[in-house]
Amino acid sequence: MTQAFLLSFKLAALTALVLLALGVPLAYWLAFHDFRGRRLLEALLLLPLTLPPTVLGFYLLVLLAPDGALGRLGLRWAFTFPGIWLGSVIFSLPFALTAYKEAFRAIDPEVLDVVRTLGVGRVKRWRRVILPWVWPGLLSGTLLAFAHTLGEFGVVLLVGGNIPGETRVASIYIFDLVQSLDFASAHRAAAVFVALAFAMIYAVRSLEERWRSPTG
Amino acid sequence: MEIAYRLTRPLRMDVRLRVSGLTALLGPSGSGKTTLLKALAGLIPAAGRPFGGLPPEKRRIGYLPQGYALVPHLTALENVELALPEGGGDAPGLLEQVGLAGHAGRYPAELSGGQQQRVALARALARQPRLLLLDEPTSALDAISRDAALDLLESLSRRLNLPVLIVTHDPYVASRCNHVGVLENGVIAQAGDPEEVFQRPATVSIARMVGFSNVFSGRVVESGENGVVLEVGDHRLRVETPARPPLGQRVTWGIRPEEVMVVRGDRPLPAGLRANVLRVRVARMQKRGAGYCFRLSGPLELAMLLPRHVQDRLRLAEAASIEVVLKPRYIHLFSDSD
Repeated sequence: MTQAFLLSFKLAALTALVLLALGVPLAYWLAFHDFRGRRLLEALLLLPLTLPPTVLGFYLLVLLAPDGALGRLGLRWAFTFPGIWLGSVIFSLPFALTAYKEAFRAIDPEVLDVVRTLGVGRVKRWRRVILPWVWPGLLSGTLLAFAHTLGEFGVVLLVGGNIPGETRVASIYIFDLVQSLDFASAHRAAAVFVALAFAMIYAVRSLEERWRSPTG
Repeated sequence: MEIAYRLTRPLRMDVRLRVSGLTALLGPSGSGKTTLLKALAGLIPAAGRPFGGLPPEKRRIGYLPQGYALVPHLTALENVELALPEGGGDAPGLLEQVGLAGHAGRYPAELSGGQQQRVALARALARQPRLLLLDEPTSALDAISRDAALDLLESLSRRLNLPVLIVTHDPYVASRCNHVGVLENGVIAQAGDPEEVFQRPATVSIARMVGFSNVFSGRVVESGENGVVLEVGDHRLRVETPARPPLGQRVTWGIRPEEVMVVRGDRPLPAGLRANVLRVRVARMQKRGAGYCFRLSGPLELAMLLPRHVQDRLRLAEAASIEVVLKPRYIHLFSDSD
């Protein structure tokens, strides 16, 4: 069980990191810039919300197989940890992106304009104005993505299969236990999930409260 | 400082204006006043002098938008420090200059509108601007804070020798400035001393903006050394004016409500003024500030403003029939006769 949970944590943490690095600039850009094709791009990025996980997993499996389009480029990631990592990033992107974008939308663009007229450069603007304003939103979005990845099942199963230590994450581990009728172990693992899920959603709610308070 | 700015988006504008001391940019809403300020601050692409082509960060300008745009999660002091080089400058001293030394640790949400404005002012001064831009600085303030804000701007402008451009639609604010420009259809339609603009507005729409509510048309029937005689309905009004419109020309003329005078029975008028007397009825009376505003009906529908001490003596009541005189030197002819 420990191995499966550790793998889940590793997957969720690495996914959250990538989402933070990719999603924050992307969300900032989407929040403050208008351009042609913006709605189309947003729909594409949010697609995993409505797409069945098995469908996303299926396409990724096909693409990442040794003779798949990406596999031929060297990304032979089917049934590997990098494969489920990529799948998780795509699958959790809408959650993180939506939260990040909301955080940036709460910024009054006029304040950023006026701060520029004060001679404040880009780095100082981010450090003193933007990040202190949005960090609760960024953190809550990242936590959401982390939690969402922890519980991910369909995409991971299709892309990664069930290889202990490589792709057998906690959710698949439970599925395995139930299939082999080991209900006692399944109970223990499920209880750990309940505790984790509650702690995270509680943290997200607390951050949202803080985010809305006027003095931030 | 002379500014000359030309822009095409979102509005077509070509503005030339001298900014000295407190200068008001007067214009109706939608005339592009805010757009011009943003262009000067470098936030909207535009060509012009000074600062043309520079990004906002490189312009030595202090810009205060209507909402003041303080950073909500920084205290008053931190907001001012934001505009200073790291570890340099005297933020507490700047707050003291605007009378807020005791509020340094407060967040913007804990300050009144007037206090927020002064924090924004201190922050703008931290940049050592060569020009200060303010967008409707008095619109959210009550009458007392409005005067206090203008007093502060006046003293800062004088002490720092800093030109201040105030965008406003409030003629009172413009009347307290050293210089005023009226923005209309993307150009400065008239500029000069506030007194000059208020007494002799160039066009009817400027007249309306600066409080000429009595605007009428008439026909020139006599033209002489000191002015003209206008035929207005059955009346012939004498007008003192340097203008020499041709006989028969239709012209637009006006008189400020505070310059309509009530004729008192105990004080006979000089004979030359008799032509300019109208018999009217008081249709409505309203208290306004420290005076009274009257709607008069008769040969012309007139607005009249009387200070309280005059009304206390005259005791005019609604429905009373009175005589008013439009003195020739208070009647103003507009150059655009429409």
